Amino acid sequence: MNEEMTETLNRIVCDVFERMAFMFGEIVEKASLPSLQRTGYLAKMGFEGPICGSVSMAVAQSMCPVIAANVLGMDEDDEFVTEKSLDALKEMLNVICGQIVTSLAGDEPVFDLSVPQVVDIGADEWKSLMDQEESLAFIVDDEPVLFHLTLESR
Amino acid sequence: MGFNVLIVDDSVTVRAVIVKTLSVAEVPVNEVFQAANGKEALDILANSWVDLVFADINMPVMTGIELVDRMAADGLLQTIPVVIVSTEGSKTRIEDLKGKGVSAYIRKPFTPELLKQVVDMVMGSQDE
Repeated sequence: MNEEMTETLNRIVCDVFERMAFMFGEIVEKASLPSLQRTGYLAKMGFEGPICGSVSMAVAQSMCPVIAANVLGMDEDDEFVTEKSLDALKEMLNVICGQIVTSLAGDEPVFDLSVPQVVDIGADEWKSLMDQEESLAFIVDDEPVLFHLTLESR
Repeated sequence: MGFNVLIVDDSVTVRAVIVKTLSVAEVPVNEVFQAANGKEALDILANSWVDLVFADINMPVMTGIELVDRMAADGLLQTIPVVIVSTEGSKTRIEDLKGKGVSAYIRKPFTPELLKQVVDMVMGSQDE
């Protein structure tokens, strides 16, 4: 991934976390990212238009209620937040994806975005994501986040 | 007297955020209806009085675009203002939706101020 693309993704991911959840992030070297403690979640969605691809974002399981609480402006231990924390993660990725496709192709083309999906991941899957050359590592409010953009050739 | 608002989004988080944002922005709301897709929204519209619809575009079962098309084809429903709230930023799509009768477009993430401004713009004349 070239430097310009990395900077674009850095700006978008950090901006969306800040504007939606009042959480502050920065891109970091993967080597400095802590390994996943226990389990995590991987959110993924695709986009189709003049450019096709997918975006995915992995977070520690413990981060999900924090994201949901911040997005909703509620306490982390609120039952609604606990129940809907994965939904908040999906929506965060959805907004990031919308910003990325505009950044890649401009604001004229129409894209179809798929509905985001979330799966559980363990330490092995986390390490596998880390090892992918194109994945980017972030620290958001002291929590590790992995982000990956895949562009398909047509 | 407040508005009856219908919020259509497959994300319960987004629906909750819009409800909260309407409150923070002090938009006068009487009753809030919620639907997870266009089909559920049409069911609510068939049975309840709604003054304003906020709708996402990408939803399973029935998208926001299909919802707008169905509302535009109905003599009564076509009079209800629709505000699209979406992650998408395509000017082509926004113009297409406005051509179908959509009143305004808000891109996520949005601020309470923007939401209030749009509601004032869309409902202003009807509130007087």
